[in-house]
Amino acid sequence: MNSEAGPPSGDPGGTPEGTSIDKPSRRLHPAAMLIGALRTVRRWVGALVIPGGAFLASQGFGVRTIIFALAGVIVVAALAAVWGFLSWRATTYVVWGGAFHLRQGVVQKNERTIPLDHVQSVDTVQGVIQRLFGVVEVRVETAGGGGNDPDASLSALSRDAAGTLRREIESSRREPAGTEEEEEAGPDVVRKLATRELLIAGATSGQIGVALSLVAVVSQLFDEFFSEAFVERVVSSFAPRSVTAVLLFAAALGLFAWLLAIAGTVLAHAGFTLSRDGDYLYIRRGLLERREATIPLSRIQAVRVVEGVLRQPFGLAALRVESAGYGENAGVSTVLFPLLPRREVDEFLRAAAPEFAGEPSLERLPSRALRRYVFRAILSAAPLVVVVAAVAVFGLYAGLPVPGCGAGGCGFGTVSLFASEVPVGALLAPLLFVLAGFYGWLQFRDAGWMLSGGRLVARSRILARITTIAPGRRLQSRSVVSSPFQRRLRLATLQARVASGGGGAEVRVVDLGSDAARSLVERLGPVSYP
Amino acid sequence: MLRLTDVSFFIGILPAVAAVALLLLMVVVAPTLRWRRWRYEIRPDEVDLQRGILWISRTLVPLARIQHVDTRSGPLQRRFGLATVVFYTAAGANQIPELSAPVAAGVRDRIAALTRFQDEL
Repeated sequence: MNSEAGPPSGDPGGTPEGTSIDKPSRRLHPAAMLIGALRTVRRWVGALVIPGGAFLASQGFGVRTIIFALAGVIVVAALAAVWGFLSWRATTYVVWGGAFHLRQGVVQKNERTIPLDHVQSVDTVQGVIQRLFGVVEVRVETAGGGGNDPDASLSALSRDAAGTLRREIESSRREPAGTEEEEEAGPDVVRKLATRELLIAGATSGQIGVALSLVAVVSQLFDEFFSEAFVERVVSSFAPRSVTAVLLFAAALGLFAWLLAIAGTVLAHAGFTLSRDGDYLYIRRGLLERREATIPLSRIQAVRVVEGVLRQPFGLAALRVESAGYGENAGVSTVLFPLLPRREVDEFLRAAAPEFAGEPSLERLPSRALRRYVFRAILSAAPLVVVVAAVAVFGLYAGLPVPGCGAGGCGFGTVSLFASEVPVGALLAPLLFVLAGFYGWLQFRDAGWMLSGGRLVARSRILARITTIAPGRRLQSRSVVSSPFQRRLRLATLQARVASGGGGAEVRVVDLGSDAARSLVERLGPVSYP
Repeated sequence: MLRLTDVSFFIGILPAVAAVALLLLMVVVAPTLRWRRWRYEIRPDEVDLQRGILWISRTLVPLARIQHVDTRSGPLQRRFGLATVVFYTAAGANQIPELSAPVAAGVRDRIAALTRFQDEL
């Protein structure tokens, strides 16, 4: 048995405990028992709630069945508590011999060893329970991993123990600080998100689609759980009987979805603070669950300045990064900062990630590319236009009341055009095509590229206008692709790939001049990096 | 002559002719063209791949970004003594298909040797 030089005394998260291999390992904070117990309960409740509910319903709601149910709940809670205790006792961790070791498992014992130089970051998350006890969850991430499943996670450590662990892990990767003061100076805050900006970010996030689909899912569930007759009675008493009622209902639904979107943003990004300490960026955010993430600057492959449709008119933008081995999934970028004025982006990048700063003026696409952009926009709008026009012209569809249309035609009447009567609805199709073409022109106008200071800067618009900055030396590969139509117009598409999450992401310039593409591909080669 | 409908012989045989032509195109013409257009070059600092008949693409992969190299050989390939070289970057894989097995092994070894001293991602 060994006694160890552990964290300062009075710290319940650092109980020293020798192991059979003479490694001085440590336990988690006792709050981990509660967290483990709750996780077990959640798993079991999820599995039992439907059969349990069905069973209870079949037995009627008499006093006996309620007592039975309560007894069942108590049994489950007791078992979960015991399991929580056993898990806590079985979990130990230590930093030893240049690696991080984590031992877990009550029945099946696991030991996970992560060499310290494979560790990319040590992040902390604070859920509601952790907040109650003043502890944090620590997640140790490696470069190859990322994803929603961290490589090693310690569900409850006191702040001191977490800090000690972080220092032990990171001291082997970075140069040791010169003096004690330097080490305690800590990171400098680059920017903090004000509450007002948070709300604006939520209001303009454009995540209304997600919220709407959520509403749709809820209504589906509604359908499943209540009988047909009940639903019909509810619907018929609330159903809109006129055009204005339909519009009001749709507006109310949209408003609700919008409020949900705001709530989601507030939950995820409240108190967003970006700090920098030398070569590491630290992001703290979250309302209920407080997350603290680390992004090593050397892992950032590309920065994206995203000007969303609702944000661009106000001169606002959001920043995202493509980071190697970090992030939710392959090709999903991480938020660097949720909202800031577009003209402050350069100054922000100079402070946070200077390798990506610098806003060169962009080279535009040759004018012969315009017709391809317009054509593509019209082509992608075509299915939607056809459907809308068909509905507008032919009135009722499957009993759905269309505004202004009754049985046998649309109520907007007809218009006299070229000496014949044309239903107004039929004019909708050409109008929509014109709008699509205009959008294509907008996409053409927003596209641009430049190679400056070894960085590839590419801008394009799908919905949002996105400017991507990727240093040439970080590119994993680059391609020039041309279709026969492009070749005829001496155009080509440049595709560069960067590492992102567990996979890759693309930086693309569509329809630039073929000479420019060829020269760009050459110039982005290894010669451009040190 | 069998007459299923009122259509004359020459029009009736059109779909069959079209099918045969398409088959010839896909089996004989296209693969030959595609093979002719496939080019690769291993330079000291990057791998250059060019391929495509209609959609022509040229891809450059810096050796510094290649993490590991494989040769792959399916049963049909083995029968003809062929293999595919696949090299992996952090953003995905690229490949040089249908090289003769010794050439494929040589390419794999050459790329592996050249990337040995790279330590960046």
